[in-house]
Amino acid sequence: MNLCLVSRSVFLVLTFACTLVVPARAADEPGNKTKEQGTRAAEPFRPEPGKFPPLDKAHAYRGELVFVDHANRRGSLRVQGSGVFRRNDPNPFALLPYGMVRYHGAPADLRDIPLGTVMHVLAFLPPDPKTSPVPVLPVNSKEIDASHYRGVGIFPAENHVLLLEDEPSHCQRLGLIWKLHTVEVKEQEGMITSTRMPKQGGNPKPSVETMTFDASTRFWRGREVLNLDDLTAEGTWPTAGKKALGDQTVLLGITWKPTPEGVFTRFHVSDLWFDDASIQRAGKIQAETHKAFIRSRWMPAWVDSVEYGKFGRATVTATLFGGMDESLYADFKKDVPAMMNAAENTLKHAGGHYGPAQLASNGSLTGVTRAAADLLSGGSGIQIRFETDLIIEGLRPGRVVRLRPANWPLVEPPREEYLGFYFSAEDRFPKPDIFPPKRDPY
Amino acid sequence: MMTPLPFRQPWLALVVGSLAVQAIAFSQQPRPKDKEPGTAIADPFRPEPGRFPPLDQALAYRGELVFVDHANRRGSVRIPGEGTYFRNAPHPFALLPYAVVRYHGAPADLRDIPLGTLLHIRGYLPPDPATSAVPVLPVDNKNKTAGYSGKGVAPAENHLLLLEDEPSHCLREGLIWKLKEVEAKNREGLLTASCEPKQGPTAKAAGEKFTFDAATRFWRGRESLGIDELIAEGLWPAEGKKALGDQPIRLGITWKPTPDGIFTRFHVSDIWLDDVSMQRAAQQQTETHKAYIRSRWMPAWIDGVEYGKFGRATVTATLFGGMDDSLYADFKKGGSAVINGAENTLKHTGGAYGPAHMASKGTLTEVTGPAGTPPLGSSGIQIRFETDLIVEGIRSGRVVRIRPNGWPLVNLPREEYIGDGSDPRDRFPTPDIFPKY
Repeated sequence: MNLCLVSRSVFLVLTFACTLVVPARAADEPGNKTKEQGTRAAEPFRPEPGKFPPLDKAHAYRGELVFVDHANRRGSLRVQGSGVFRRNDPNPFALLPYGMVRYHGAPADLRDIPLGTVMHVLAFLPPDPKTSPVPVLPVNSKEIDASHYRGVGIFPAENHVLLLEDEPSHCQRLGLIWKLHTVEVKEQEGMITSTRMPKQGGNPKPSVETMTFDASTRFWRGREVLNLDDLTAEGTWPTAGKKALGDQTVLLGITWKPTPEGVFTRFHVSDLWFDDASIQRAGKIQAETHKAFIRSRWMPAWVDSVEYGKFGRATVTATLFGGMDESLYADFKKDVPAMMNAAENTLKHAGGHYGPAQLASNGSLTGVTRAAADLLSGGSGIQIRFETDLIIEGLRPGRVVRLRPANWPLVEPPREEYLGFYFSAEDRFPKPDIFPPKRDPY
Repeated sequence: MMTPLPFRQPWLALVVGSLAVQAIAFSQQPRPKDKEPGTAIADPFRPEPGRFPPLDQALAYRGELVFVDHANRRGSVRIPGEGTYFRNAPHPFALLPYAVVRYHGAPADLRDIPLGTLLHIRGYLPPDPATSAVPVLPVDNKNKTAGYSGKGVAPAENHLLLLEDEPSHCLREGLIWKLKEVEAKNREGLLTASCEPKQGPTAKAAGEKFTFDAATRFWRGRESLGIDELIAEGLWPAEGKKALGDQPIRLGITWKPTPDGIFTRFHVSDIWLDDVSMQRAAQQQTETHKAYIRSRWMPAWIDGVEYGKFGRATVTATLFGGMDDSLYADFKKGGSAVINGAENTLKHTGGAYGPAHMASKGTLTEVTGPAGTPPLGSSGIQIRFETDLIVEGIRSGRVVRIRPNGWPLVNLPREEYIGDGSDPRDRFPTPDIFPKY
C-alpha cells in the first residue's frame, strides 16, 4: 500500500521537521556515547585468536534486547541512534566466547535478561567473518546514515560483544547513580526527570533525561516490592500532578515502550531501586542463578598450550574466562580432580547425549596461578594446568573448552546446549540466516 | 566426528536400568495429562477458519519455554515425555491468532514469559499447514516414540490456544500446591508438594519432588525473600528435613539439569506464600499487558462486512478473549474507533507511520455480548463498526486490530508491523529458523 493521503501525512511533516532538533538533544543525553572506554575507538577493531581484545578498541553503544537465541549466545538489539528509535531494525549480535553478560549488577546468561531491557554494549568486529553466526556488515557501518529518519549508528558492524549489561550493572560498574528531580503522574502513569551522574558527585555536564513509567513499574525498597498505588498511598509520589523529588538517588531498570507525540527516543522505567539493600538483594538472586548455571554447564576457558606426553597423556594450560562470581573461581584449586571437555565458540559442549562428562578428559589440576585482571578483559587472570591420561580432540591451543572441578554437580545439559554425536557443520557454526533481512521501514 | 560410547560411564547403566522405575514414578505424578479436558481426545483436531475451536478437542501437554520469537508469536518448548527430559529437543509452536497467554494469573504476551518457565499448553493441528510458521508434523506424531525421550515429546498439535504458567493454571483450575516436606543442604535441596483442588476434601495425591536453590524467590505480601531469610526466621531448616504440614502455596516452576540420572524433575523458581503476594504479581502483569494491548490495539476477527457506496462499509467483528475486562469496557456504543488489517501473527499491516496511518476510521455503532460463556479465545463481545473508507484487509475471516478512542496513539517497533508487504515472508514467516536436532 503506497497510498499517502495528505491528511495522514501531517505527522510525517512534523516528524521530519523534528529531525533538526532531536539529534542534538539526543547527543546531550547521558548515554555512554561520549563517556566510556571504547567510545572513541577511531578504527573498528577485529579481535585476534588467542588474545583478549583491548577494551579501548571496543565500540560502545546502547540497545533494547529484542530477540534472544540463548543456546547460540546471540540475539538482536534495537540500537539507539540519532533518529526515530522505533524504526530501527533489530541489529543481530553474537557474544564472543568470553563475552560477559551482567544483569542487576551480577553475572548473567543471555537467557536471564527479559526481552525489552535496554542494554549497554561494548563490542568488536567479528573475529572471523566466515564463521560469524550473525550477519557481517561493512566495517564502517556505524557511520552510515540508515536513512528514513533513523540516522547513524544503528547498525554497527561491531556486533561481536564483549560486554552486555543492563542499566543497574552499568551504573554500579562505573560508580554512577540516577538522581530523581521530578515526577508527574496522571491516571496511574507519567514521567520522571532524572540525571545519571557519578555517585561521588561531580558531573561536568549533567543532562536531564525524561522517562515514562506506568502502573506496571516495580519499586524496590529493602525487602519490599511496591507499585505505584503503594507509593501514592504513602504520599511518596503524587496521585496526580507534579512533585519535586529533591535529587533522590536511585538505580533504574530501563526498557522501551512505544512513545506518543512523535518523540524520537524516550525510554521507560520498568524498575526503580530506592536503596542499596534492594539492589543488592536483586544482585544476590542473579548471582545465585548464574552460579548454579555455570556449575551445571562448566567454566568456559580457552587453551593456551598443550604439552603432549606418551600414550595419550598431556598437560593442558588454559585461561578461565572472566566475569563470574568469585566463589566459582575459588573451586579451582591445585590437586583437585577435574574434567575438561571441548566446546565451540557458542560455548556448546561437544558430545553430550550422555552428558559432557562422557567424552571429557579426566585429570587433575596440577597448577593454578592468578594474575591481576580487569573485570572487562574477558579473561579471569586465572590460568590452570591440567594433567590428563587421555587427551581428547578439541583440547588444542586457541580452542574453547569447559572445565569442571570435582565438586560441581554432574548433570546433563539440555539438547540445544550440546552438539551431539552426529552434529552438522551448522551445529558448530550457526548460520546467520535466522535473522530477517534489514529493510526499509515502509 | 565422535562415535557414541553408550556404556563408557558406569552411571549410564544405572540410568538405563532405572528407566522402568522412573517411568512408573513419573506417570504417578500430578500432571494435567490425566485430569484435564482435551487429554483423552482420540483424533487430532484442526481448527477451521472463522470458528474458535472447542477446548475439549485440544491436546493438553506441558513444556519448558526454550525459545521465543515474540514478534511472530512463536517459539519452542521442551515437552516432558516418558523418557530422559534433557534429551528432548525444543519443539516449535505457534500461537493461534486468538490464543490466550497467561503469566502469574494474568493476561500476558509471549515476551513476558521468562525463558525456562514450565507452561501448560492446549494445542491443535495447524489450521493451514501450507502457511504454518512452524514445522508441520505427521498428525499422529504425539504417539511416536523418540529414543530415550519416549513418547509425546513432539506432538503435531503445535498451534496453541492456551499457554499458561503454573500459577495461572492452578488459579484457573482451582488447584493449589500443598507443601509436605523440605530437605535442605547448603541453601539448596528438595521439596515435596502435591497439587490438589483448593476446595473440597483433600485427595490422597502423590507428592512431587522439586529442586530449589539459593536463587529461588519467596513472595510474602509485599516482600521478596530469599532462602536465607526463611532459614533465619526458622520457617525452613538450614540443613536436614522438615515437615511443612500441607502449607498451601503457589509454585513457579522451571527446569534445571538434574543429577543422579533422574529422568524428569522440575525446579521451583518462585514460591508465593500467600494470596496477597500472588495477587500483587497478577496485578503487575495485568498492568503490563493492559499497556501492551492499548499500544498494539485489540485483536479481533471479522464476522461480516456490509459494503455501502463510495467506500462506506459496516464491519461486524468479534474481539479476541483473554484480556483484562477494563480493555473491553473501552468499547462503547457511539465511540469512535479505528480498525487496521493484521496478519495471523497479529502484526499490523502498513505501520511506517504507525498503525493509524492506513487504518479505517469510524464509529462503533453497536457493542453486544458476551452472552453465556464464550469459547476460550473469544471474548464473546461483538462490535459493529461503520466507516466511510474501508481498507483492504478488513474482510470476513481476516484478523484485524481495533483501537477505541482514548487508547494512546503510538507507533510500533519495526518488527511488529509488515511494512509495504512486498516480502511474503513478512506475512507468512517460514519455519526455517527452527534447528533440526
